[in-house]
Amino acid sequence: MNKLLLYMLLPVVLVTALRCEKASVASATTGSGGSTARFAIQGNYLYTVDKSSLKVFNIADIANPVLKNTVPVGFEIETIYPFKDKLFIGSTSVVHIFSIDNPENPEKLSTAISPDVIRRCDPVVAKDTVAFATLRTSGPCGGRFSVLAAYDIRDITNPVQKGTFPVSEPYGLGYSDTALYVCDRYGLLVFNIENAYTPQLRKTFTDGWYLDVIPYNNTLICQVQDGLTLYDITSCMKPTLITKIK
Amino acid sequence: MKPKLIATGIGLCFCLYGCFPDRRYADTDTYVPVYMSPADKSNIFLANARTTEKSGKIYAFGNTIFQNDLNKGIHIIDNTNHADPKKIAFLNIPYNTEFAVKGNYIYANNVNDLVVIDIRDLNNPVVVKRIENAFPYINQEYPPQSGYFVCPDPAKGIVVDWELQTVKSPKCHR
Repeated sequence: MNKLLLYMLLPVVLVTALRCEKASVASATTGSGGSTARFAIQGNYLYTVDKSSLKVFNIADIANPVLKNTVPVGFEIETIYPFKDKLFIGSTSVVHIFSIDNPENPEKLSTAISPDVIRRCDPVVAKDTVAFATLRTSGPCGGRFSVLAAYDIRDITNPVQKGTFPVSEPYGLGYSDTALYVCDRYGLLVFNIENAYTPQLRKTFTDGWYLDVIPYNNTLICQVQDGLTLYDITSCMKPTLITKIK
Repeated sequence: MKPKLIATGIGLCFCLYGCFPDRRYADTDTYVPVYMSPADKSNIFLANARTTEKSGKIYAFGNTIFQNDLNKGIHIIDNTNHADPKKIAFLNIPYNTEFAVKGNYIYANNVNDLVVIDIRDLNNPVVVKRIENAFPYINQEYPPQSGYFVCPDPAKGIVVDWELQTVKSPKCHR
């Protein structure tokens, strides 16, 4: 009898194990932006980046933002990605990492540099021990070839590039548990990141020009060239199309 | 004999003309500055759902998905039914490119101003705060892409976009 019960339960356990744990659980009060955004909200603060500076607005009074600080960051700033108490700021040359332990006074911790690519665009996302950036070298960003790069950020003051994967023309990116979704001029790439520093390409959707993604609960929201494409990512390595909205 | 020679000469001229087009007179892919018309800058209102023209940045909050339409505003998509999300409205915000959402408030750039839009009543969005000149103007002197462009004229106002067009003899290049 016990054996029978075991056999009955085993498939359930297996299925549960295969489903992806969602790293980010969106509550009623937190939203989520894409990796190519210039605006990011973390707690009671709105952080914005323009070409050269980071601005901090206090939004504790939600309808009444107050500019608290303007921090010079560098040149050709493109993107901002908040993760816990850090901000990852992408530019056309490097990724700047700031601490927001003191949310009104972001403090620069380090700069991640890819030794392979001189000049590129850098949308970046981060988990606890790894940061991923796409380094695109076409168009306004110059350079010669494009890659997905994985940085070891265990020592946040000294990020080290650990691995790269060639991608034709990458844009934004996002992750959900063991899946990393990378946007490309020629489709959407799904990488397995169980070994975070050596992403393995597992699937490619070649149905359009993907620009950015937000993994949000069980939905992968994709900005594509003519609107939105939405996938169900209950099984994170196997996105299934929900709909396209133009 | 002579007419044949002339005909050959004319033919050769056409060939040379066709084979070696002169950039100064040729149609060239060129970025053309789009200037802001100051009158419509603060014209923020809710419109019917519409087709996306220039797909912009995205944001998710609760059961709502937002997508910018470059320089036009924000599409609002109701995702309450995850199997069948639907566009429900378009929030017209002139020259908007960036935004974030918290609760029922949208933080958005309106050209170089930061505006806060209260969407508690989605049918009646209200600008509850405007911080003027919160952001610097960008791409005023040249387009973000390299190539030929029409030299911008500061007297015509603020450049809010660069459109790729075919232009005869563009003067500027980078």
